[in-house]
Amino acid sequence: MRELPYPTVLRPYGQALVELAGRRAEVVCLSGDLTRQCEIDLFAAAFPDRFIHAGMAEANMMGVAGALARCGHIPFVHTFGVFATRRPLDQVINAIAFPALPVRIIGFMPGVSSPGGPSHQAIDDVALMRAIPGMTVIDVADAVQVRQVCQAIVDLPGPVYVRLKRGEIPLIFDDGHELSLDRADVLTRGGDVALFASGMMLAPSLAAAAALREHGLSVSVVNVAVIKPLDTETIIAVSAAAQVVLAAENHSVCGGLGSAIAEVLAESGLGRPLRRIGLRDTFAEGAGNASYLFGKYGLSTQSIVDAAWLALGMPGSAPAAEVTAAADGEYAPV
Amino acid sequence: MAELARFSDPGRSWTVPDIRRLALSIRLRAVQMVAPHGFGYLGQALSCAEQVAALFAVARPGTDRLVCSPGHYVIAFYAAAGEVGLIPAEALFSYGRDGAALEAIGTERTPVLDYVCGSLGQGLSAAAGFALSDRLRDRDARTYALVSDGELEEGQVWEAAMFAAHHRLSGLTVLLDANNSQVDGPVDTVTTIEPVAAKWASFGWDPVELDGHDPAAVARALTAARESSRPVVLVCRTSTAHGLDCLPPDADGHFIKLPADLAERAVDELTRKLAASDA
Repeated sequence: MRELPYPTVLRPYGQALVELAGRRAEVVCLSGDLTRQCEIDLFAAAFPDRFIHAGMAEANMMGVAGALARCGHIPFVHTFGVFATRRPLDQVINAIAFPALPVRIIGFMPGVSSPGGPSHQAIDDVALMRAIPGMTVIDVADAVQVRQVCQAIVDLPGPVYVRLKRGEIPLIFDDGHELSLDRADVLTRGGDVALFASGMMLAPSLAAAAALREHGLSVSVVNVAVIKPLDTETIIAVSAAAQVVLAAENHSVCGGLGSAIAEVLAESGLGRPLRRIGLRDTFAEGAGNASYLFGKYGLSTQSIVDAAWLALGMPGSAPAAEVTAAADGEYAPV
Repeated sequence: MAELARFSDPGRSWTVPDIRRLALSIRLRAVQMVAPHGFGYLGQALSCAEQVAALFAVARPGTDRLVCSPGHYVIAFYAAAGEVGLIPAEALFSYGRDGAALEAIGTERTPVLDYVCGSLGQGLSAAAGFALSDRLRDRDARTYALVSDGELEEGQVWEAAMFAAHHRLSGLTVLLDANNSQVDGPVDTVTTIEPVAAKWASFGWDPVELDGHDPAAVARALTAARESSRPVVLVCRTSTAHGLDCLPPDADGHFIKLPADLAERAVDELTRKLAASDA
């Protein structure tokens, strides 16, 4: 694991897809009028014959992708997460998921990583995709995982939804880290708090765990890159070893990682208090930058520290979490 | 059920010597499939019988792909497939029954077709995807899609129409069954979709307007479509009561009631017409 502030890299997904397409002739790339934004201008330049403009027409794009998959191509479909999930939900279900076709839907700008307001903030994409039978749902945490995700999903038999942050992507894991679709990553182990995080919430979760450790609490931090199918074995084992369970996601608390963990805990009969960190069943808003929204909507390091403190019934107010400054080209959570 | 094949499965072949006769047989078999239930999607078969018959005569089995966008129309494709031996004629008796492979509204496991979708307005996108794949692979195959006029109310159809024209998918031909029928009544009382041919032309398609119950005209237009440099749409003007005189004038074209006595008269009428055609 690297230390705060994290170094960042630019556009690791776009580069990884080009590398995959160089090895795999079946890969085709569809764009819903967000080519540069989804980093696939790199693909268009490298493989123009396999790059398909679908335009601002997501319903049709999903239908075309489904048919291409039936013919043996492996379509990677690109747009923002909101437009990949809300608008063409019926098409994703009927033209892709019901026939269990290997279409890879890549939704950029998860949660409030976009300051563009509720129309652009995918706060329910995990919930919508998780509800679809046979859909694999992935929210990777850093550039080391992003670089591996294309290869990891290319041969999965059914449909996949991947939500990806745009722009500068932090490097959190060491370069030797291997993305697993079967196992959640247990990064630290502790007996007080079991803290499960996905995607952009890994960074504040690690920072919160460090702050809690300074006050004598021990925390297991688990990175859950694959929200469905969920690694229930790890969820149960890590939760059983802790007093309280926390789930942190850049998403609504309805239907995402926190809900999935609640289902696992309830069905296992484990009986641990659970606190969900995420958007509290509310839309967010347009703003100048994402950090402001992460702070305002309870997705900060401090929010996680507070939740752990309250869940454990600790006396007094929670300790203040130190916020690491990040220079240009670095990343640190708020 | 492995014996229930698709039109595009390799190794299939047949000939249709008389398209008009095949259309008559589609009507008769559709009546026989709906009759045990007392109601069903008979109007769809009556309006598209000549189009499906012409398709089974002109499209190349084992090569070309068939898409049926409105899943309620699969009855006509089942009937034609049973008639040419693509699926066993006995299988038609299972239509719409519990556990049957031949579901009344087409779905993923529907045989005969390469794609059929019960959620309307989606078929043209899949057809465009097939045509695009064939072009990416330089494969000599055409894709034929049956689309209904009511589906034109769905925005996705026009997304797909724009996509197909932009990408010059000349391997794609649409049979548009313009029967002016949808669930709430005549299409023109629900939404004004006209001028249909002009809309498709303005979207970059090559439209042909014709009498959808003229089998020779439909077959000619399907054959001519191979020569176009653009995707072609045949706007087939049809009726959900065509070719079955015994239907009451107020029959609901989307979901026709067919009580036993009416079914018997319908079978008699169509059997007589077939005999006359063979005489």
